[in-house]
Amino acid sequence: MSIRINPDPAPDLLAAIQLDQQKQSTATQQVSTGRPVNSLSDNPAAAADVVFNHIQGSEDDQCLQNISDLSSQLQTADSALNSVVTAATQAISLGVEGANGNLSAANQQAIATQVTGIRDQILSLANQTYEGNYLFAGTATSTQPFVLNGAQPGGVQYNGNTHVNSIDISAENSININVPGSQIFTNPNGNLIGSLNGLITALQTNTGVGAAVTTLQTAFSQVTTQRVFYGNSLQQLTASQTYLNTDKTQVATQENTLIGVDLASAATNLSQSTTALNAVLSATNQILSTLNLLSYLK
Amino acid sequence: MGGLLGILSIAAGVLNADEGAATITSNNIANVNTPGYSREQVNLSSNPPIQVGGLLFGDGVSLDPTTSIRDNLLQQRVDQENQSAGQLGAFLGSLNQVQATFNETSGSGLQTPLTAFFNSLTQLSDNPSDSSLREGVITAGQNLASAFQQDAKGLVSLQSSANVGAQQSVSQINTLTTQIAALNTQISGLIGTGQDGGEFEDQRSQLVNQLSGLIGVSQINAGNGNLTLTTTNGAALVVGGQSFALSTQLNPSTTFHDVYSNGTDITSTITGGTLGGQIQVRDQEIPSILNQVNTLACGLATAVNTQSQAGFDSNGNPGVDFFTAPASVGSAASTISVAISDPNLVAASSDGSVGSNGNAQALANIQNQNVVNGETPANYYGKLIYQIGNDISNANNEQTSVGLVQQQLQDQQGAISGVSLNEEAVNLVRYQSAYQASANVLNVINTLLLDTLSITTVTG
Repeated sequence: MSIRINPDPAPDLLAAIQLDQQKQSTATQQVSTGRPVNSLSDNPAAAADVVFNHIQGSEDDQCLQNISDLSSQLQTADSALNSVVTAATQAISLGVEGANGNLSAANQQAIATQVTGIRDQILSLANQTYEGNYLFAGTATSTQPFVLNGAQPGGVQYNGNTHVNSIDISAENSININVPGSQIFTNPNGNLIGSLNGLITALQTNTGVGAAVTTLQTAFSQVTTQRVFYGNSLQQLTASQTYLNTDKTQVATQENTLIGVDLASAATNLSQSTTALNAVLSATNQILSTLNLLSYLK
Repeated sequence: MGGLLGILSIAAGVLNADEGAATITSNNIANVNTPGYSREQVNLSSNPPIQVGGLLFGDGVSLDPTTSIRDNLLQQRVDQENQSAGQLGAFLGSLNQVQATFNETSGSGLQTPLTAFFNSLTQLSDNPSDSSLREGVITAGQNLASAFQQDAKGLVSLQSSANVGAQQSVSQINTLTTQIAALNTQISGLIGTGQDGGEFEDQRSQLVNQLSGLIGVSQINAGNGNLTLTTTNGAALVVGGQSFALSTQLNPSTTFHDVYSNGTDITSTITGGTLGGQIQVRDQEIPSILNQVNTLACGLATAVNTQSQAGFDSNGNPGVDFFTAPASVGSAASTISVAISDPNLVAASSDGSVGSNGNAQALANIQNQNVVNGETPANYYGKLIYQIGNDISNANNEQTSVGLVQQQLQDQQGAISGVSLNEEAVNLVRYQSAYQASANVLNVINTLLLDTLSITTVTG
């Protein structure tokens, strides 16, 4: 006796159609979205990695934006200090001229007036703002840091603080973004504004001009030393920018590796599943329309 | 009975038997597409011989009660797979919705608002006195809180749906067990009179199959055609002609309904079927996910608040809580909100001066600190994403394999019980031939009888 087979092929045929339709749908989704992982269950480990990947990419973007904003701020500060250096150099030259001892009292006064102008210019630069914030006030950025005050040593009063801000320029690195103004302009090892005041007084009284110039030169070298910070920071920002852009490319590549589709194989899958579906539909049609013995009974 | 009249009687019996056989064949053909129908087999048997003058003569044919062709063990295997299919179907139905909520591969989920919040703090550290950036931190915090709330709400809503579904399943189970108990009575009555349970057994098998799709069931053949059904853990569902209804009762502590059998809470013992899947989703899977979302929200809010308090606002005052302090871990995600509305209250400063960004930096750095159960927020959330994906992936694989087994079992079942139109056509032709032959016998005997009668008339 022959083995009896299931006389109803319909459920198996339907299951085959559904399976091929599902494969076709998956392949279509992969081709249209460009990703083989469209839900967490498609590849749980890759989906979890995508979380870290997105966070990394987003952090990179944020740091790049920070660097962009910060660059302008640091450049403004550096530019101000550059002007300070130029002005101070000029003041030193004037001081050296004043220390000559051969000048008339009127000329000496004229030099004193010039140096006063330079001091005011430097004072103004020391009170430089960026987006409404004082650049050289430490973290007390809403307070004008430097005001002339004869009662204070050097005739200048510092109203800022000595605190320093730092900012993340990558997930791993942060840099300090300011030098307190007191460290640059009223440093105990070389008080630029105070020494300018001293030079003005010396010129006006024609006493101790040479010593005042020497003091100014010391303060000047203090400013140039502090200014290096801004140049270095700008360089660090540029380096970090390069690193972040490279990292962003890596993150994008990694995401593509995690959930990106191999378009060639996805297109092949689509083509194969379509062929398979057509074949099973054709087979279903043939099988279900096959006559049975009852059709031949007369 | 011998002689011509005896032959007539035999031929008439054949006509009856073949008519009956054709009826059974016709019924098989009629039910070719009826789900759960088991083909009925015609049982013909020769009548006991009769003795006439020392000789034994056959006495024709009788149509015996039909036999439904089925394999009860195979049916039980089908039912078992149906339990798994039902459970996986309910589980995946809910979990696929959870997956859509947390589908990080398409950008939905908590990662985006979480990163945006920390990025807003990083951005604020760039210019801590900028009120629009301060406003941005509050907005990003609100977006994050809102995402937590929506996710928690979505999960609780799925839990409620599973709870309503479980109540409906219990109601369907009770309807089915009542019907099965009634069929038990009918079948045992038929068996008692020597009949085959036939189509009643088919109906019962269908109902048991449906029941298996709803709850894990153990079947015991109690004899006399009675089928005893219990849950897989032994709670009685049907015994003979009596069904035992399950009931649901509100559990005030969970606000969900527990399932009772004869006054005993059997909720935690229910496995298999849609009800098993619904209870698994409601009492295990979603609580586990919800607990992790709550832990994340609580860890994050607590860390942000602690750091906020360590800083100063733009007025130089000590920082206050940024998020409303979570009353408990269990409600953290659903109740989290931003506690401040004034941008000046964002505690960005670490020294009290408006330009200080130290605390904004510290707040942003929370994303790299182990503040959620000893892990960074991203690590903790990444694990949750993996767990959801993995649970669904496993269930999908299991569902595929259960589907294949079901298909194979149904094929085997069809091979045994399915109606073959070719087979029925052959049988029909056979019965037709026998019927025609017997009709011819009747004709011949009729002629012989007429001949005999005419002899009697001539001689008389």
